[in-house]
Amino acid sequence: MDDDSNGSHLSVVLDLSPKYWELSARDPPENTYPLTLATFLSQLLAFLNAHIACRHENTLAVFGAFPGKSVMLYSSSDPLPDAQSTNTNANSYPPFHAVDSAVVQRIMTELDSLEDQSRRAELDLLEAPSAMVGAIAKALCYVNRITLPPSSNSKTQANGFHPGVLPDPRILILSISPDLSTSYIPIMNSIFSAQKLKATIDVCQIYGPNTVFLQQAAHLTGGSYIFLERRDALLQYLIMSFLPPPAIRKTLSVPTQEQVDFRAACFCHKKIIDIGFVCSVCLSIFCQPLPVCTTCRTKFPMKTLQRLNAARPLLATATGNSRSASVGRAAAVTNNGVGGLPHSGTIGNGNTSNGR
Amino acid sequence: MPSLHLSAPAEQVNSPHSLLPFLQSQSEKTLNRLYERPSSCLSIFRLLAPLQQQIVMNLLWLESAIPSSTMAAWVVREGKRNYDTALTTLFRLHILTKSPIKLALNPTFKTSLRQALTGGGTTGSFGVPAPKDDTHPPMGIDGLDGYALERWETILHYMVSSGSGQNTMRPSKEVLFLLQRSGLMANSHGSLQITSAGFQFLLHSPHAQLWDLLLQYFQLAEERGMDLVEVLSFLFMLSTMELGREYTTEGMNGTDTASPTHKAMLNDLRDYGLLWQRSRSSRRFYPTRLATTLTSSSPPLPTSTGPSSGPKEGFIVLETNYRVYAYTDNPLQTAVLNLFVALKYRFPNLVVGSITRDSVKKALSNGISAEQIISYLIAHAHPQMRKNNPLLPVTVQDQIRLWELEKNRLKSQEGYLYTAFTSPADYELVLNYAKQLDVVLWENAVKRCFFGTLDGHANIKGFIERRTGGNA
Repeated sequence: MDDDSNGSHLSVVLDLSPKYWELSARDPPENTYPLTLATFLSQLLAFLNAHIACRHENTLAVFGAFPGKSVMLYSSSDPLPDAQSTNTNANSYPPFHAVDSAVVQRIMTELDSLEDQSRRAELDLLEAPSAMVGAIAKALCYVNRITLPPSSNSKTQANGFHPGVLPDPRILILSISPDLSTSYIPIMNSIFSAQKLKATIDVCQIYGPNTVFLQQAAHLTGGSYIFLERRDALLQYLIMSFLPPPAIRKTLSVPTQEQVDFRAACFCHKKIIDIGFVCSVCLSIFCQPLPVCTTCRTKFPMKTLQRLNAARPLLATATGNSRSASVGRAAAVTNNGVGGLPHSGTIGNGNTSNGR
Repeated sequence: MPSLHLSAPAEQVNSPHSLLPFLQSQSEKTLNRLYERPSSCLSIFRLLAPLQQQIVMNLLWLESAIPSSTMAAWVVREGKRNYDTALTTLFRLHILTKSPIKLALNPTFKTSLRQALTGGGTTGSFGVPAPKDDTHPPMGIDGLDGYALERWETILHYMVSSGSGQNTMRPSKEVLFLLQRSGLMANSHGSLQITSAGFQFLLHSPHAQLWDLLLQYFQLAEERGMDLVEVLSFLFMLSTMELGREYTTEGMNGTDTASPTHKAMLNDLRDYGLLWQRSRSSRRFYPTRLATTLTSSSPPLPTSTGPSSGPKEGFIVLETNYRVYAYTDNPLQTAVLNLFVALKYRFPNLVVGSITRDSVKKALSNGISAEQIISYLIAHAHPQMRKNNPLLPVTVQDQIRLWELEKNRLKSQEGYLYTAFTSPADYELVLNYAKQLDVVLWENAVKRCFFGTLDGHANIKGFIERRTGGNA
């Protein structure tokens, strides 16, 4: 398959949490490099245009994660009819113009309506965590739709041949808010679907601490994760690391992580944990030994419970001293969760293990 | 990773776009003038290979030049060669400024491409949309596609049928002149006949055909005294326009009226089907799909979807018994098939024929190569054929190649025949000498003669003369 002649698809997920954008825009004493939403958008639009500029066939979709709501802002397959017909001028390339105006307009209207709603409900909706998972899921659905051959043309589908399929779809997540530990399971599920779709997830953390889950998402799908240090150089970061499709990345390398934080969140309290206890049947992760697995209702024998409980304080002190060791051990927990299959033979035994 | 090794040669195989060598042959001054327009920069950028695009993009937003070693540090060792060739091409196009240590974009190119990406400026290089026209209904996209298809197929059909003596619609005089100039057709016995280059041209993809003709057009334009930069930038502007929108010729170059070059081009391009005008003197025009897909690599040209043509994808079924079933009612496709297939029956939506030794021989003598026939069959194979692996029956592929080899059974070589030796001893002596020089192509001891190559003649002649001189 000649993958040069085809375009590539890029879905961009924007984290549009007003709270963190406000924090990010504060001046030097708090931030060395302040970055406002407006500058961010102007640099992002240049990046989006660069993607469309590379090939006529390149497709683009932009998703926004607003507080408690995720919205598709733009997609090149079904552009908004009103955005198309609005004033085209002689100084800009029509497709660029369409993307720019659609994205900016949609963000404006969504933010305005959010403000309206929160004023009416007398609740601060703007403080709510952004619906990152929803946006990622929508991006994945979109990728799924364009990767699969259209069902109406059953003839080509039967042959497993479709000329319009775009190779190597990519999802770029521009995140600004920190990890939301409740979203561990949905994010993990998204990662698996991305792997299934052979979609690469790239992540750029623009503000705040590293996010554990998105790091894992990038690592597991072969994408690159970048923590933005020089935020004044956002566009250069975007272009150098996220513009090249996988084929080019084999020639011009892009930064990847040296260390990946593989810690998982427990299913019971949604806390990010260093050491977890994994149900041997369904591989659910818990922060403490349980007599009955809350997910699959498997009962564990009293004896193992006691043994694990007895070992727990020891483990806690041992890991408390050296963090790197604990990360390594937690990695084993998630790796089991990712690659392993439930051991059907252990249902009767009901052993609880801590991942080792 | 095995995939890495697989992709590396594939990238090298991909030849650059046919326009790039042409641009490389232009002077730096011409290119700089061309780079002044954002739309031209954008179009040229699109024609570059993906790796070159990435290099340009990496440098685009940098204010100062960076040491080339910094950029080279990003290159994976296996990709070093690709990277170097990409840089060379960019240097030749004067997109990168010449400097061994530092890498930087040509400032003109940088400014224009930035402007193209961000919008703004007052160059008006993306075409001036015409104000709403109340007197005429707007032209629909279907209508434009139909027009482009009709124009383009007229040209191709004229070429195909010129050999067969059928009377078809003649394209305009300018088009015929261009076809003749480009060597696709030649004047013989008072009428235009298709040449072997023309036959090869017919088997190309529509996109390649279009660029072939346009390249010829550029060369012709130079001779006609048109400004090449204006010609190119007008074409690039067309390629960035929106399908189904009406544009005006006014104010395209910052001037109120169209320049003579533009007027001439409007006329020419209308004949090729790249744009549509209500009337010859109209100041408004619509670009057609042929124009707006110029810079895309695999274009969904209307030529393959038009009302009279066959199905969108492939239409040819080839069986192991050399039979060809072509599901088409398009006269052009039938005519192209007729180049190398002996057609037997015609039905409303189906043409049946078979590939025979004679039909392939006829094609070969027209200058079409076996590879071209095979690649045409592959490119237009019916979806049902795609299930087969390999796509075409091996027997047929091999046979077509063997028929081509038949043509190459004779090899000609220039040389001298040495005969009339007086005695076998003389003959042996000269022959041995010639054999030592390794210039003997053929020998016959009974007839006492041998054939030597051209470059051995002087030595042999000298040797014989020395011998005869010594005897005498």
